[in-house]
Amino acid sequence: MLAVSDGGKPDLTMSEFALNKLEEVFTKLKRSVWVFHLNTGSCNGCDIEVLDVLTPYFDVERFGIKLVGSPRHADLILLTGPVTIKTIGKVVRAVKAMPRPRLVLALGSCGVGGGIWFNTYATLGGYPQLEKILKDAGVEVDRVVYVPGCPVRPEAIIYGVAVLLGLLQPKSKHRRVSAVEG
Amino acid sequence: MSHDYSKLIDELSRGHRSRAILSKILEVCGDSVLDLSRRNIVIKIVIKAKCLRTALENIYKEHDLYLRTIAASDERSREGLFKLYYVFGIDSEGTNLVFEVPVAEGAKVDTISDLFRASDWYELEAHDLLGIEFNGRQMSRLVLPEDWPENLYPLRKEVSVEELKKMYQPQLISRVSELGVEEVVRIPVGPYHPALHEPEYFELYVRGEKVVDARYVGFMVHRGIEKLAESMKYDQVPFLAERICGICGFVHSTSYVQAVEDALGIEVPERAHFIRSIVLEVERIHSHLLWLGVALHLLGYDTGFMHAWRIREKVMVLAELLTGSRKTYGIDLVGGVKKDIDKDKIPRIKETLNVLRKEFKELVDVAMSVPQVKARLTGTGVLPRGEARAYSLVGPTVRGSGIARDVRKDYTYAAYHYVSFKVPVYTEGDNLARTLVRVDEVFESISIIEQLVDMMPGGPIKAERWEPQPMRLGIGAVEAPRGEVIHVVLTDLYGPYRWRVRAPTYQNLQAVPIMLKGVDLADAPLTIASIDPCFSCTDRAVIINLRSGSVKTLPIEVISRRVRGNG
Amino acid sequence: MVKFLKMLSISVREGTATRKYPFESPLVTPEFRGKIEIDPVKCVGCGACTRICPPKALTIGNEGDEIVLKYFEGRCIFCGMCAYVCPQKAITVSKEFELATWELGDLYDEVVHTTVKCRICGKPFTTVKFVKEVEKRIDNKVPEDLLTVCPECRKKLTARKIGSKVVGVSGE
Repeated sequence: MLAVSDGGKPDLTMSEFALNKLEEVFTKLKRSVWVFHLNTGSCNGCDIEVLDVLTPYFDVERFGIKLVGSPRHADLILLTGPVTIKTIGKVVRAVKAMPRPRLVLALGSCGVGGGIWFNTYATLGGYPQLEKILKDAGVEVDRVVYVPGCPVRPEAIIYGVAVLLGLLQPKSKHRRVSAVEG
Repeated sequence: MSHDYSKLIDELSRGHRSRAILSKILEVCGDSVLDLSRRNIVIKIVIKAKCLRTALENIYKEHDLYLRTIAASDERSREGLFKLYYVFGIDSEGTNLVFEVPVAEGAKVDTISDLFRASDWYELEAHDLLGIEFNGRQMSRLVLPEDWPENLYPLRKEVSVEELKKMYQPQLISRVSELGVEEVVRIPVGPYHPALHEPEYFELYVRGEKVVDARYVGFMVHRGIEKLAESMKYDQVPFLAERICGICGFVHSTSYVQAVEDALGIEVPERAHFIRSIVLEVERIHSHLLWLGVALHLLGYDTGFMHAWRIREKVMVLAELLTGSRKTYGIDLVGGVKKDIDKDKIPRIKETLNVLRKEFKELVDVAMSVPQVKARLTGTGVLPRGEARAYSLVGPTVRGSGIARDVRKDYTYAAYHYVSFKVPVYTEGDNLARTLVRVDEVFESISIIEQLVDMMPGGPIKAERWEPQPMRLGIGAVEAPRGEVIHVVLTDLYGPYRWRVRAPTYQNLQAVPIMLKGVDLADAPLTIASIDPCFSCTDRAVIINLRSGSVKTLPIEVISRRVRGNG
Repeated sequence: MVKFLKMLSISVREGTATRKYPFESPLVTPEFRGKIEIDPVKCVGCGACTRICPPKALTIGNEGDEIVLKYFEGRCIFCGMCAYVCPQKAITVSKEFELATWELGDLYDEVVHTTVKCRICGKPFTTVKFVKEVEKRIDNKVPEDLLTVCPECRKKLTARKIGSKVVGVSGE
């Protein structure tokens, strides 16, 4: 089981936060997070970046994040791609196979909002659409974090994991402003 | 009549091969040829459907001829007909031979899959997406799911995306429960492994440890791109094209813009050509390094994998510096590029390339001297030259089997005619040959970039104005890291009327079963990976043991490890 | 024979390649394209960006009496075409990529424009700032109908005018 808790302050960048609260970060990261990489028909862009965070430059094994070959062993699914209709069955099955708490990191503009494919006959349009199907199939997901990017930078994935684990508050906020008359 | 033809043939042909082919076609089915024309390197023959096969039967043995792509298009709104465009390449002349075949609704076309084996999938796809029927072959679903409604063809113009979504709703719940039935031993691992991403399947039939046959079951990543593009504008499609593949996206956008530029006769500034070529080569280096890393990983040499990726990261940073993004560069527009390469970046490029050349050489020297790596690459997954030709294969796959087919040389584009480079060819046809082709290409690419950077002319980077015209045919081909990418575009006023994409893996995958026959199960993953599948589709194989008849599914990684553990 | 051991010396020479991120700044070059920023002062709500946006992450539409330009970061492909076409240079491409969040709603940026209502049907059809900008650019030489009547009513109006001319009955 993962220790997931909220914490951290808004308005801090990841690096500032981490530097200020190095110890806190590591106390919160009580257990290693094992991840399973689920490609639902993406273009490979995010997938090679996922692979990139596992290789020397960004090496997330620093944080105990380990890639596993089966969703049964995973705490977290790295979901890339807009969910093509041919993969739906397998995707649902893979998520279902994961033990609770089920965590999902929806990666890239495809995973978050269907990307450039959000409105074609052959895709669902990203995780929000898939979530409805998962609900219908009785598969509950405990926490989702959306990580935009096309493709997501390796650093953005690391940041996303930190948000997911509650190490810091996300910076993104809904912004609604009036166009100022000039 | 024959003297008329000879004059026409003189006008149209671009060398003795195209001359021979044209006169043969006119000789055997002159009455069925509706029109003949040539524009630049494209010779177009409009021919009646009933005579296409006869014409091809007479020329398919011609040595330099290979099938590049077949594009099917719904032009009923204009001429009341479907059209098939068969694009053949004549390598030695750099000529494209296009057969335009009008097909009435409900009419059948004779298959050519026995003459050009590569046409198998094209015909199935034309049937899936447009409902064109073919005589003399078995039809089955290729691209669309098995439960897709009969008589619903997504690329037909009368159906909109909204209607398609309404008419096909995947049976999710029943499918989930159906998958839950554990009648066969299926372990729900995979089908995804990040070393070899993407949900594609191969079924391997094994006797003991030997693979006796293989079948590819795929098109999991069919995203309806071509339909989507029909609702987009000219300058939006490059970004869509780039997302066909996240590894070699720039080749797709370049190929698309070249097709449009070809169709509309747009003059692209020289500087834009240079920038495109530089970025294409940067992409090739990153892709080959990625592939080499993954291949070494599959061979169990993880040290090499990590070092390949360490070196690759420098290329990624360089790509971001040149284009603004690590991947999916987003600088191609019809008529030029969006982003210039400033002078002050050139020293940085050269410096990176120098480091790269040195470090890559060290890595390859060491990796290729590891006895296990050498032993498992040599003599496995052999693809004979004859088969490579019969399947119209492309890229390092065909160059590892002794055929020097390279779009950069044969049908030169962008700024490649300014630089001198070798096309590495190995004749053994095994996994080692394909690996060495890629290794040599990295060094060639480094040298190409260095030459281009030194020669780069000044001037604008984008054509000022261009006018769209309806129904012009354009062909754009680019040598991707994995082989030739070819796009066929039929233009319209605001965006493409029909856009046909053919990725290199489309051709190369069809030959994988041949490579797999007779290899040890342990070498199967590497053999599949050796074509560098663009969907990196190799992550899971269904093993059907012919002796016991049981079916089990394993991630390809596990197969690789299991046998490695024994040996 | 033991040539492959040379890798050890390479590893020693290279040392640690791993970036310390998040404990140091990310590896972002000056050219990197991240999230876009829309300047609410410069934006006039013309919608040029929404027409070029390949994934339709930028949309513009009526919401009651307002016209809202919506930017959905979650679908943005960071191509920068909007900044490339924006006639007002209101859109800039920032280097921000740390966008992860657990609420989809957080990924929306909206710019709200006050509207001009059609003189005939009363429907809001364009933004106040757009009208001002058009007036400024073409020096008040626009036919007044263009800026006060919505496209649909304008069509009807023109049809009626032509009709009256053809039939020869003075309409107005």
